[in-house]
Amino acid sequence: MDLYDLGALSWWESQCFYHAMAHLGREGLIVCYPSSPYVCLGLHDDLDQEIDREYCKEQGIPIFRRETGGGVVYLDNRQVFFQLILRRDNPQLPLRRHRYYEKFLQPAISVFRHFGIPAELKAPADIAAAGRKCSGNACGDVGAGVAYVGNILLDFDYAVMSNILRVPNQQFRENLRQAMQANMTTLHDWVKFSVSYADVAALLIEGFKIQWGDLELKVPDRELIDKAQEIHLKSSSEEWLTMPGRRYFDRKIKIAEGVMLMERKMGPDSVVILVRDGRVDEISIFGKPEVKDRLNYDMVGCEWSEELLNRNYA
Amino acid sequence: MPAKKYAIPEGLLYDSNDFWIKVNGEEAVIGMTDFGQSNTGDILYLELSPGGETFQQGERFGSIESGKWVGNLTAPLSGVVLDTNREVEGNPRKVNADAYGEGWMFRIKLSNPEELRSLMASQEYAQWVDEQIKCEMEKG
Repeated sequence: MDLYDLGALSWWESQCFYHAMAHLGREGLIVCYPSSPYVCLGLHDDLDQEIDREYCKEQGIPIFRRETGGGVVYLDNRQVFFQLILRRDNPQLPLRRHRYYEKFLQPAISVFRHFGIPAELKAPADIAAAGRKCSGNACGDVGAGVAYVGNILLDFDYAVMSNILRVPNQQFRENLRQAMQANMTTLHDWVKFSVSYADVAALLIEGFKIQWGDLELKVPDRELIDKAQEIHLKSSSEEWLTMPGRRYFDRKIKIAEGVMLMERKMGPDSVVILVRDGRVDEISIFGKPEVKDRLNYDMVGCEWSEELLNRNYA
Repeated sequence: MPAKKYAIPEGLLYDSNDFWIKVNGEEAVIGMTDFGQSNTGDILYLELSPGGETFQQGERFGSIESGKWVGNLTAPLSGVVLDTNREVEGNPRKVNADAYGEGWMFRIKLSNPEELRSLMASQEYAQWVDEQIKCEMEKG
């Protein structure tokens, strides 16, 4: 198995090298981080529904659409990426692709545990510590390959992430920021000394060596660089970025596995509901004075359904 | 036979990307098999090529997303899309719930009926599914 320990890359290289490997039918592990921030959409995300493009433009934050699944992520130099690219006929790949996450994420779980963080897999594809997400991951059949991509959060800017996402109103944005802070965690929250990219990369690579044996250190060759540039060109096009994706009638944002923040318009009011593992975890209502009287808060803890909200809103 | 766990109706044709094909003269209806939907898991999103689009056997004619995985739908036959099941695009879990009924995906006009010979009959597909399951069990 080839290893590309690439350290700091430009934002687009941090996505395009693994896409290029997959399209070229090559196998390998890439460990890297982006030197500047960007936003990354999942293949089927709808750009205009998900992203506040004006804010991104003002802040100079570029947008990329990857060919793997999952939702919008904000990525910057406080995250370490690990990207495993396998050919589709690799005998280690299960028919049920999501079953491979357990193996793919083991090195990352070991990194967290090395620092004393009680990280564990939250199926299918999150790593959580004390119930809070600390690593987001995705996979997809890309070209001739299958790409599994993940990151380790050294630290995270919740305010910027909540500003990037398109939301119905400022109250929802504030709820979103708070919900992310309550349901996500980073290495920085647990470790009181500075952890560098090199520290994390070395531990990750050790973990993957246990699975794949010796890894052969490589640098990107001409073919890989050319392919990555070709993918960058395609992925920068307006047509690719604005490709139609899944649309929701009401705004909902997945924060972590099993945790969803959503808004429902109820007459003149806006109701914001945080659902955890299918149950109402928190609920708030915004509107004119006395608005709070229109909502029965006893629904907290109940199994979430539209009907539950209708029954508890007067 | 492990394949008995999955519905594999007779009278349909199958390919190794887990599509079923119901041929009716020069037309065919295409959907994902029970084995295919089971391996994919809960389907969250489907993007299907619209009516009028032409594709060759083996080309991408849509894409699919389940929990944290996306993949391409690969055309089992060459043809022109006559009709796409918009209901299943709106509610992709119909593929999980009723793969051979409401979960159908495309109705196409065949452009190369000779390709039908490359497909498997139900018994042959059942054997192929058995082999896949055996391989999977060997991987552990």
